[in-house]
Amino acid sequence: MKYLDKDITYINKLLKEKKIKPIDLVEEAFKNIENNKELNSYITLNKEEAIKKAKELETKEVDNLLFGIPIAIKDNIVTKDLKTTCASHILDNFMPIYNATVIDKINEKNMIIIGKTNMDEFAMGSTSRTSYFGAPKNPWNKEKISGGSSGGSAVTVACRDVVFALGSDTGGSIRQPASYCGIVGMKPTYGRVSRYGLVAFASSLDQIGPMTKNVYENALLLNAIAGYDEKDLTSSKKEVEDFTSLIGKKLDNIKIAVPNYFMSDIVSPIIKEKIQNIINLLEKNNIKVDFIDVKYLENAVTLYQIIAMGEASSNLARFDGIRYGYCAENPQDITDLYYKTRSVFGPEVKRRIMVGSYLLSGKNAKIYYDKALSIRDDMKKELEKVFTNYDYIIGPTTTTTAYNLDEQDDPLKSFMDDVLVIPVNMAGLPGLNIPVGFSNDNMPIGMQIIGPAFSETKIYQLASFIEKELNLQLNPKDGEEND
Amino acid sequence: MTNYIPTIGIEVHVELKTKTKIFSNSLNGYGKMANSLTNVIDLGYPGTLPTLNKEVLNLAIKAALVLNCKIRRQMHFDRKNYFYPDNPKNYQITQNRTPIGYDGYVEIEIDNEKKKIEIEEIHIEEDTCKSTHKSNKSYLDFNRAGVPLIEIVTKPCINSSKEAKAYLEKLKEILFYSDISDCKMEEGSMRADANISLRKNENDPLGVKCEIKNIGSISNVALSLEKEQLRQIKLLEEGKTLREETRRFDDKLNDTVLMRVKETGNDYRYFPEPDIPYVIITEEMINEVEKTIPMLPEERKKLYLSKGLSEINATKLIQNRPLSDYFNEVLKLDTNYKTASNLLLGDISAYLNKNEIDINKTTLTPSRLQKLISFIDNGTLTSKNLKDILTKVLEENTEIEDIIKELGIENITDTSSLREIIKTIINNNLEVKQDYLDGHDRAIKFFMGQIMKETKGKANPKITNDILLEELNN
Repeated sequence: MKYLDKDITYINKLLKEKKIKPIDLVEEAFKNIENNKELNSYITLNKEEAIKKAKELETKEVDNLLFGIPIAIKDNIVTKDLKTTCASHILDNFMPIYNATVIDKINEKNMIIIGKTNMDEFAMGSTSRTSYFGAPKNPWNKEKISGGSSGGSAVTVACRDVVFALGSDTGGSIRQPASYCGIVGMKPTYGRVSRYGLVAFASSLDQIGPMTKNVYENALLLNAIAGYDEKDLTSSKKEVEDFTSLIGKKLDNIKIAVPNYFMSDIVSPIIKEKIQNIINLLEKNNIKVDFIDVKYLENAVTLYQIIAMGEASSNLARFDGIRYGYCAENPQDITDLYYKTRSVFGPEVKRRIMVGSYLLSGKNAKIYYDKALSIRDDMKKELEKVFTNYDYIIGPTTTTTAYNLDEQDDPLKSFMDDVLVIPVNMAGLPGLNIPVGFSNDNMPIGMQIIGPAFSETKIYQLASFIEKELNLQLNPKDGEEND
Repeated sequence: MTNYIPTIGIEVHVELKTKTKIFSNSLNGYGKMANSLTNVIDLGYPGTLPTLNKEVLNLAIKAALVLNCKIRRQMHFDRKNYFYPDNPKNYQITQNRTPIGYDGYVEIEIDNEKKKIEIEEIHIEEDTCKSTHKSNKSYLDFNRAGVPLIEIVTKPCINSSKEAKAYLEKLKEILFYSDISDCKMEEGSMRADANISLRKNENDPLGVKCEIKNIGSISNVALSLEKEQLRQIKLLEEGKTLREETRRFDDKLNDTVLMRVKETGNDYRYFPEPDIPYVIITEEMINEVEKTIPMLPEERKKLYLSKGLSEINATKLIQNRPLSDYFNEVLKLDTNYKTASNLLLGDISAYLNKNEIDINKTTLTPSRLQKLISFIDNGTLTSKNLKDILTKVLEENTEIEDIIKELGIENITDTSSLREIIKTIINNNLEVKQDYLDGHDRAIKFFMGQIMKETKGKANPKITNDILLEELNN
C-alpha cells in the first residue's frame, strides 16, 4: 500500500486512527527513494535517525497535520549531525553542529527528515548540473534536467518519494525546478522565513520556501516555517497568518496584470498558449486580466548577475579550509592553503566568485554594484506601483520546458532562462509556481503567481482556484503503473 | 639641517565594555581559556547570521557624544573583504560609508595652550581572532573574534609627538570615564596606529606618509613618532625619496621597523552588509544615552577646585576613577572636603592599595566618612590615632563613635579632670609659663607635649589647647 502520494489530510487521518504509523511512511519513503535512485535526487539519506524518530513518535499524540510526515531538505540548509554539503566538494564532509531555524521549526511539528537533496553547487545554477554529486534527473523524462538549483527537492516531491521538501530561491531556484517537474513551489516574501542556517549564496535575495505536490500542502508547510526569528535581522516581525485560510474561498473583485514582457517572444509558443488558456479561464470567471507594460523587467538578469555575484564572492570567502570543510594537505604557506583548498570549487562557483570579486573591486563597486542597487530599487517601486492597481501579476515561470541534460551548458543562456523569475527576488516579493499543463512531449509547464509583499495567503487562494479548475494529473508515475 | 613640520594622524581601536559580543551572544571577556567564549557565529560557520548588540550601539553613540561628534541618524554596516586566518568569515563587518560619528574633536592642553584635535570619524566594527605562532604551527583563539570595537580616526592635524601623547592620554581618560572601554593598552583593549609625514613649509603639500601599526602604549606612540621622524629626516636630508610604508615599533631596537611597503590602494571590496538592515538612530536613543554619561574629568576638576581642593589633590583624585566617583558622593554631604580629599588620597589610599580593594568594597560609606571627619574637626581624633582605627573603620560596620570608644583611644574631653592635669603641669613649670608670657610660642609646644605625655596621648588636642591658653593667661 502506498500513502505518500495521498493528500496530507488523508495520511493524517490514518495516523490519528492508528491505521498506520510514522514508521510505515518512513519505510515507504526510503523504498520510493531506492526505486527512484537513478533520478539522483539525494546527496545524503538520514535513514537511521529517521527510523529512530519515527519509532519515538509512536508514543506521541498526533497533534498536527505535519506530525510524522517525511520531508526532504535541500542540502544548503544546515542540519545538526546530518551532513550538509551544498553539493560541493569543499563541504562534502561537513557535519553541522547546529540546526537552521527552519529545521528547529519542522522538528517542533515532529516531521521526519528523510534526507538532504541534490542541488547546484552552493545553489549556483539553474539545472542542478553544477552539483559535485552529478545532476538529478527529471522524473517526467530522465533525459531532461530537473531545473535548479533546488532540483533534488523538486524531483523527490514530483515522484512522490516524500510529501514535502524545502528548497531555497535566490533567483528562481524553487519556482523554476517546480515548473520543470510539475509541482507547486513558493518563494515567500523576503523576510517571511528565517535564513538562519541557510548557507548564504546572495544574502539579500535568498529565501527558503516549500515545495509540494499541491497548493494546500504548500501553504501548510509555509505555516510551519514562517515567522520572525531573532537570529535573522532581515526576518520580518509581521504576524504569521494561516496561509491556508483563503484556499477554496471565492475570488471577488480581483484584478490581474500580465506584463507584456512575460508574454513576449522570449517565451516559447506552447507555454504562451497554456498561460493564455489560464487567462481565458480567469476571464470566464469574471476576473479582470490586463496586459500592461512593466519597466525594468528586462534588466532583471543583469541586476541579478551583479548583486548575486557580488554578495556570493563575499559569502563564499569563509570556505578556506581552516575551521571546517575540505582542507588541502601540506600547504606551503597560508596563501597556498587558500589556493589549494579553494581550487576544489566547481567551475560555475569559481566563475561567480571571480565575477563578483571583479564587480566589487575598486571603482567597479560604484560603477556596477551601487548602480545595480539603485535600479533594483526602481524595479521594486515599479512593481509596487503595479500592485496599487492589481492584486496579482501572472505569467509563465520559464521560457521553455526542461531541456536535455546533455545540452551544452551556456552560462549566459542559463541566466536568461531565469529572466521571468528573478524580478520577484529583486523586489523581495512572494512568487509561486503552479503547474498549468504539459508540452507536446509531455513535459510540465508552470505559471507564476506574484503578489505584493506578504500576500502569500492570497496567492494560495488564486493558485488553489486554478489547481481545482485544471485538475491536472501530475504524478509522473501514473501513466506507467496502476496502484 | 632644515626644519621639518610633522603631520600626524592617529587611529585608535577601542574595545567596548559590553557583556556580550557585537554580533552574537557569546560573552565578551579577556584572559579566558582559548576558544571558550565562542559560538558558531563567531567562528563564521556556514549559514550563521549576525545579530546586533544594542549595548554596542549605545556605547558608540556615547563615544560620539563625549568626543563631540555629530551622529549619523541612518547608518549601515559594510563588509571589508580580505583573507586572513584571524578573520573567520574572511570579511570583517565594519562601517565604511556611514560611520556612526563624524566631525568631532578632543581638546588638549600643552604648556597652557589649548588645541582641538579634530576627529574625522568614529565607526563600529568587530575584532578579529588572536593568532599565535609556535614552532611552525599557528594557533587561533576566537575569544576575541566579534568583540565590539570602535575606531576613532583623527584628521591629519597633530604636529608633534607631544600633541599625539596628550591626545591619547586625554582620549583614554574620556573613554575610560564614560564607561565606554577599559582602555587597557597592555590587554589590547586600546590599540593605536599612527601615521606621519614631513614637510618643510606649512603651505607645502603633505609629504609621503608612513604608518606605524599596533603600538602598545601611549609613551611608545610618542617615542615611535620621534624615531620615525628622525628616520624620515635622515632620508630626506640625504636627498632620498620616501616610499609609503607600514612599519611597527620594536621595543628592543627602540626604533620603527619595516613591515611592508604599501602597494597601490588596498582593495577591500567594501559593500553594504546585507545581513544587517539599516539602523535608525533616533533623538530619543541619543537622549537616553546622554543620561548615562557620568561627569567627565574636566568637569570634575573644575568642581573639585571650586570646593577648595588643591590642584594636586584634584588631579590625583581624577586619576583614580573609583575614588573620584566616591568623592563625588562625599561632595553631596556637608563636610570638610579638603580633609576628605586628604584622607582619601592619604591613609585610605594606602590601605586600598595595600589590600588591592575598591573603596566601595569597604565599610566606609560617604556618611561614615562624614562622621569620621567631624571627629577630626572637633579634635576628638588626632592623625596618630586615626591610623589606629582606620582598619576598623574600613572593615567593620560598627558606629564610628563605638570604634573610638572600643579602642580606648577616646580623647579626654572631660574638661574638669583635664584642667586639673594642666594646672599641675603649669605649676610645676612656672618658668616656662613666664617664657610664654614673654611671647615665646615654643612654650605652648612644651606644655602640649607634657600634657600628652601625662594623658598618654588621649587628651583632645583642641580642648587641651583651649584650656591651656585659658590657664596660661589667667
